Amino acid sequence: MGFDISHDINAETATTHVQPDTKTRRYDRQLRLWASMGQSALESARILVIGASATATSILKNLVLPGIGHFTLLDHALVSPGDAGNNFFFDGPTSIGRNRSEEAVRLLAELNDNVHATADTRDVADVLASDPSYFFGFSLIITHNLAPVLLTRLADLLWRNSSSPPLIPVRSAGFLAEIFVQFHTHEIIESHTETAPSIRIDKPFPALLQAAQALEFDSMDTTDHGHIPYVYILVRALDDWKAAHNGLPPQTHAEKQEFKSILNAQRRTSDEENFDEALAQAYRAWTPTVVPPHLVELFADTATMPPTPFGHLLIALRSFSERPPHVLPLNATLPDMKSDTESYVHLQNLYRTQAGEEREQFRSLLRAPVDSELVDLFVKNAHGVQLLKGARYGALDALPEKLVMHLNSLTRETATHLAFSALDAWRSSPPRQTGGPTERELRDHVVTLIPRTELNEKELSDAIGEIVRAPTADLPNVAAFLGGIVAQEAIKMITRQYVPVNGYCVIDLVDTWTGVLPS
Amino acid sequence: MATAAGPPTANGFHYADWEDRYYHVDQVLDRPGPRTDPDSFMAGAAVKNFLRDKCKILVIGAGGLGCEILANLALSGFKDIHVIDMDTIDISNLNRQFLFRPKDVGQPKATIAAEYIMKRVPGVTVTPYYGKIQDKDDDYYMQFNLVICGLDSVEARRWINATLVNLVDRENPESLKPLIDGGTEGRDLSFRYHVAPHRSEGFKGQARVILPTITSCYECSLDMLNKPTVFPICTIANTPRLPEHCIEWASVLEWPRVKGETKLDTDDPDHIQWVYDVALKRAEEFKIEGVTWSLTHGVVKNIIPAIASTNAIIAASCCNEAFKIATSSAACLNNYFMLIGTDSVYSYTFEHEKRDDCPVCGGESLEISIPESWTVERLIEMLVERQDIQIKKPSLSTPTKHIYFQAPPQLETAMRPNLEKKVSELVPEGGDVIVTASTLPFNLSLRITYT
Repeated sequence: MGFDISHDINAETATTHVQPDTKTRRYDRQLRLWASMGQSALESARILVIGASATATSILKNLVLPGIGHFTLLDHALVSPGDAGNNFFFDGPTSIGRNRSEEAVRLLAELNDNVHATADTRDVADVLASDPSYFFGFSLIITHNLAPVLLTRLADLLWRNSSSPPLIPVRSAGFLAEIFVQFHTHEIIESHTETAPSIRIDKPFPALLQAAQALEFDSMDTTDHGHIPYVYILVRALDDWKAAHNGLPPQTHAEKQEFKSILNAQRRTSDEENFDEALAQAYRAWTPTVVPPHLVELFADTATMPPTPFGHLLIALRSFSERPPHVLPLNATLPDMKSDTESYVHLQNLYRTQAGEEREQFRSLLRAPVDSELVDLFVKNAHGVQLLKGARYGALDALPEKLVMHLNSLTRETATHLAFSALDAWRSSPPRQTGGPTERELRDHVVTLIPRTELNEKELSDAIGEIVRAPTADLPNVAAFLGGIVAQEAIKMITRQYVPVNGYCVIDLVDTWTGVLPS
Repeated sequence: MATAAGPPTANGFHYADWEDRYYHVDQVLDRPGPRTDPDSFMAGAAVKNFLRDKCKILVIGAGGLGCEILANLALSGFKDIHVIDMDTIDISNLNRQFLFRPKDVGQPKATIAAEYIMKRVPGVTVTPYYGKIQDKDDDYYMQFNLVICGLDSVEARRWINATLVNLVDRENPESLKPLIDGGTEGRDLSFRYHVAPHRSEGFKGQARVILPTITSCYECSLDMLNKPTVFPICTIANTPRLPEHCIEWASVLEWPRVKGETKLDTDDPDHIQWVYDVALKRAEEFKIEGVTWSLTHGVVKNIIPAIASTNAIIAASCCNEAFKIATSSAACLNNYFMLIGTDSVYSYTFEHEKRDDCPVCGGESLEISIPESWTVERLIEMLVERQDIQIKKPSLSTPTKHIYFQAPPQLETAMRPNLEKKVSELVPEGGDVIVTASTLPFNLSLRITYT
């Protein structure tokens, strides 16, 4: 699977000038987040959900509404009276005794005509035994409270092949829940990071430096002086400072204060907003523009670069950053700032021109051909690109040292995770008991994973006690909560935008918290 | 277990639950968990009877959050649900408001949502009201045990919050109505707590529990809410730099100049087209790139991105708290939960503190220090602007005399000369000023000192 950008540009130019069509209007509120590229990724997705529980149908609802291409719901069981009571996608008591996947698919499909839906009434155990290739026909697989032995078999099957679809196993009991996202690697270009790209005040490109030094502050009238963009003010002040300080920026606290008072002294009047901005942004003068740490770490590990366009782009990005001035390609987007229109537009053009040149330099470093629009997208988002390395579902439980470490820093998350693992162990240990587990039985399973001395009594009792209270309860509100959380993760995996959970997301709706346990 | 026939529902007839209907929910109602308060939890028949036959709950808003809230409450076992919404269904609602279909576009949200829930979840009565929350009086709100809000308006939340705080009568425990408030429109406390101020829009939301007069109320947090982006009028008029500036120029300045009395209707595509054309022309003139139809629509209508999954998370949190409060099966949230899903899953649960000088639940006057030279008009400007007050069109009086009233017109005209007077001529040092506004059901008491 790669980044498919073919739908993007044409669709956007076509809809720029006129009122959008019905489909665009329907999806307007989400297109503003993931744009037509994210939407076409969703529309190409084929999702398999195993088990038509209330949680599973809540997840599907939140994927059908934004318009995934296809889903299959795999479940051979019949609707029980309890199912009919807690699942909005069964038709009350009239659904009792009918096949769970057929009933749910019928009512889920009503939500969006654009989504293709299939009910598969086979037993997942049979499919795993007779037709394992079935699972490779999907782009994402989600399970809810799947029998532990089958889940392990499925997770292992998928893990064996690095091009397998990601798997999101969901476990819940009463007010507690846990989800995991299994993938080998996950490539993200548009992470929608909070961190803004550098505007290189500290390392101004020649045209910027020249433009800043060419301005005649003193001969400007008061209006013009109050509209000099702070970028020029800072670049120039820093250049002057460096000339007087052996080429070094302000370093000590005293020097930084002195730099600020130099800025302040340039004010014509006390209420010049552009100088207020320059002072507020002065830290940019002594904060070096460098390659973000997460990319430095990634570059150090090029042996595992995937042989994909994304991998080629990353290698080129590393090459780019190895050359002076050791930065990422410039981003063409300039933040808004106090300025007159002409100065701002001129400054913006300086950034655009330089960014265009650096993008071409970047392109020349590519060792394999990559779609030109994908290159543009990558360069535009370079400071936020990520390559996540995932783990096999269940691997954490075989690492007692790591569990102990987590237990110290993420106590309640780890305790809840252990309680779920104990419930699964109890469910798969023969002979199958009738009734639910006891606290004692779950504790006995927990101590097979972690030394007894490490256990934290309060957090573990809190988690085990809730699971013993309601071991098979798929509560409507917890199902709805998971429906949202899991759909968000699925959307992130499919669109390759935003950053998914890497590990276990543990949820406790008694005390209303969530936490993440890295795998 | 035998099929149990409960007391009459709001429709006046009995509905028999099928056996094991509540197989899942009953697991947490039949026995306590380790963190359940044993004194308030009446496991078994008592708690089920209250939830399913006695508890009456009000849902405010039948939109993105409201649709989810109604379905969750119905499945949880609430059987007497009321819903208020003043809106009709738009096509852009359909990507998340899952009780509505294309054929429902133009119909009232409250009515369609109520019909859908009753059809799908037998034995539940949902009573819709298509109108404004301000249409209803104290007696109406008094009938409910709980209120859940799924709104996207700060003004409406302030109104219902103040109404429920005013309802509290210390002699009558029934008068305390827990208020559960959800939101995904970004007016939350995330900026205050240094998490994800801007770009996480659409993937972010919050749920909070307000026990009126006991815990922090909505008004207590008013000054901490994330602020919407505002473009200064001088930038729009003189120095546009962004496409948004050109769009604001077209909609805020050019529209009224050219169209006169005709109001800009943000739902009318022809109006948006006009603004788009005018904005585009201005952008070309100033060599500004990026004005599109979609951006124009977004800026003019103040569109906030919204997706089904985020609404599901926040609505579920609200309903889970309602369920815990109604059943005491677990303690309720104390008192604020925010979740951000852009980078992994991040959430933060904390207690937001009550403000002693909160104009709604605090009881103490707000101390205000102003220059002795300030006129009444200047004081009013400050009251409109201050983040912790934000009162539109305030009227002022002292305990003994009126200073300025916004309405009725005769009174406004009579008192208008006071606007020019100095506050210090009308109010002594340390004196009180009572501020009222027709949009808010509370009086703000200021204690004025002069600098």
